[in-house]
Amino acid sequence: MTASTILVHRHTLSSRIAITVALLLLAAIPTMPFWASSGQIRLIIELSCLIAIAQMWNLLAGYGGMVSVGQQAFIGAGGYSLFVLSVYAGLNPFWSVPLAMILPALLAAPSYLLLRKLDGPYFAIGTWVLAEVFRLVTGNLQVVNAGSGMTLRAMGQFTAHQREIGLTILCALLLLITVGGTFLMLRSRLGLAMTAMRDDPVSAASQGVNVGRMRFGIYVVAAMGTGLAGAIYYMAQLRISPSSGFDPYWSSICIFIVMVGGIGRLEGPIVGALLYFTATRLFGHYGASYMIVLGLLTLLIALFSPGGLWGLFGKLRDWPWFPVGHRLEYRQRGDA
Amino acid sequence: MTWVDAVIQGLLLGGLYAQYAIGLSLMFGVMRIVNIAHGDLVILLALIGISVSAAFGLGPGFIMLLMIPLGALIGWGLQRGILNHLVGNDPLPSLIATFGLSLALQNLMLTIWQADTRSLDAGALAIQSIDLGGIHVGVLPLGIVAVAALLTWGLHVVLKTTRFGRALRASAADKDAATLSGIDTKIVYAKATAIAVAILGIAAVFQAARTTVSPADGGAQLIYAFEAVIIGGMGSIWGAFAGGLILGVAQVVGSRIDPGWGILAGHLVFLLVLAWRPQGIMSRR
Repeated sequence: MTASTILVHRHTLSSRIAITVALLLLAAIPTMPFWASSGQIRLIIELSCLIAIAQMWNLLAGYGGMVSVGQQAFIGAGGYSLFVLSVYAGLNPFWSVPLAMILPALLAAPSYLLLRKLDGPYFAIGTWVLAEVFRLVTGNLQVVNAGSGMTLRAMGQFTAHQREIGLTILCALLLLITVGGTFLMLRSRLGLAMTAMRDDPVSAASQGVNVGRMRFGIYVVAAMGTGLAGAIYYMAQLRISPSSGFDPYWSSICIFIVMVGGIGRLEGPIVGALLYFTATRLFGHYGASYMIVLGLLTLLIALFSPGGLWGLFGKLRDWPWFPVGHRLEYRQRGDA
Repeated sequence: MTWVDAVIQGLLLGGLYAQYAIGLSLMFGVMRIVNIAHGDLVILLALIGISVSAAFGLGPGFIMLLMIPLGALIGWGLQRGILNHLVGNDPLPSLIATFGLSLALQNLMLTIWQADTRSLDAGALAIQSIDLGGIHVGVLPLGIVAVAALLTWGLHVVLKTTRFGRALRASAADKDAATLSGIDTKIVYAKATAIAVAILGIAAVFQAARTTVSPADGGAQLIYAFEAVIIGGMGSIWGAFAGGLILGVAQVVGSRIDPGWGILAGHLVFLLVLAWRPQGIMSRR
């Protein structure tokens, strides 16, 4: 006689390794000021911000079905919040970073309510217009020094070493919140609804998912995460101006990273960010020619491999890093 | 009087925006696709026109005769080579593809023509003006508005009365049913995009003759075209024309109030329309 058991589990060997490595790396980032050069720390700060911004774009486009070409609106809003809070309210810049998520959320809520009236592709251009509005308004506001931008003088009260400790801790938290938070969210009931929405919004709605409210939530959350990354990025830069903070190039980066990495998967933006980051270090000095290649690569991915690199890899090996679903294993036991 | 002048100058500026907008509106109406490289194509055609004009000493009229078929050819190729593979219910693939194309085109133009601003020498036409009771109206801008109106009317007639127009409307209403009735939707789509980009060929010459162009200008042109379409009302060709004129007036009046607020005023009018009348001002709904 034989007995069989069906095992339901979430994790695989690959995911255990990946999550352990990810947590170790996160824990290692705040120790960097004690062993790494400031050049290396700058690179890690940039990479962390890229991963966070791309992951938020992935949440928006991959799960929410809202393609945005205007995420720079919230990068700039987060960055400017930090500068204004520290210059005018005299707050400690490090403690202002979490507060920098408030303005992006406050801007995102009415923005979504306006933009949702636009159909599919028009929504995307609408986000761009809003980002342009924020850029132009900022460029005309004397309070934030108009077009010349602001400098974060308050950072002068800290030594370079203190600044690096603060920034690396913030980066580790940023990744924990944006990547880890998305991971936990996708595993919850909410995540089930989001995954259903990603696959088919109409049938998700027929199963009782309130698609409109979910999209609103995703839009605001993505804006907050993007704003947080923007605040940390410009804190490290010590300077922000309307043309840098609200640069449409930020959106190009998001789209490239997520599309080439793999949209609608948590691993995609990480793979894409690592690729973009390395490629920019290697080929960035080619300037416009490098950008032509990035553009054509995005075009080719959209045409031939909509799942990106992670999608291609997934066809070869089923080795997830951050599994959000469950898998079944059928085990036969007995004396036969 | 200065305000009357501002409104008239705005209407004249809007003629150019209307020309960008009708192609965008046509493509969206038929395929539910927005070509993010729309503005970059205007700039590309303008820069090619300027270079050809400089190399062979041709006037703007000849250049336009060249740019229209070139635009049609580019549009046809764009649709057959790229967009036809991406038409569908999901807006993501076509947006991403044309976004990539836009990034590549912008940087390609930057490599070829550098970041300089250029313009097309329109000769005496560029400075001629008529005096309308104290307000000077440029002959060239007036011509641009007239051509925009003519194009809108022409497209309207083609859509309403010709066999091709019927096929186009059928493909827009229901792709599968159109295919069942013997319409090759891929060809129809390619013709629609060819028309849209051919109109950009006209717009490009006017843009280059009226103001200046530089490789990075495409994004702004796309935004103006899009705003014109939304202000006028999605899916209406005459709406796109009216939206272009309104946007032009908003920008010129805004910049008369404060030079820094011109383009912003255009955006604000767009946002107001979106908030109060999202179906557009020309819509009867």
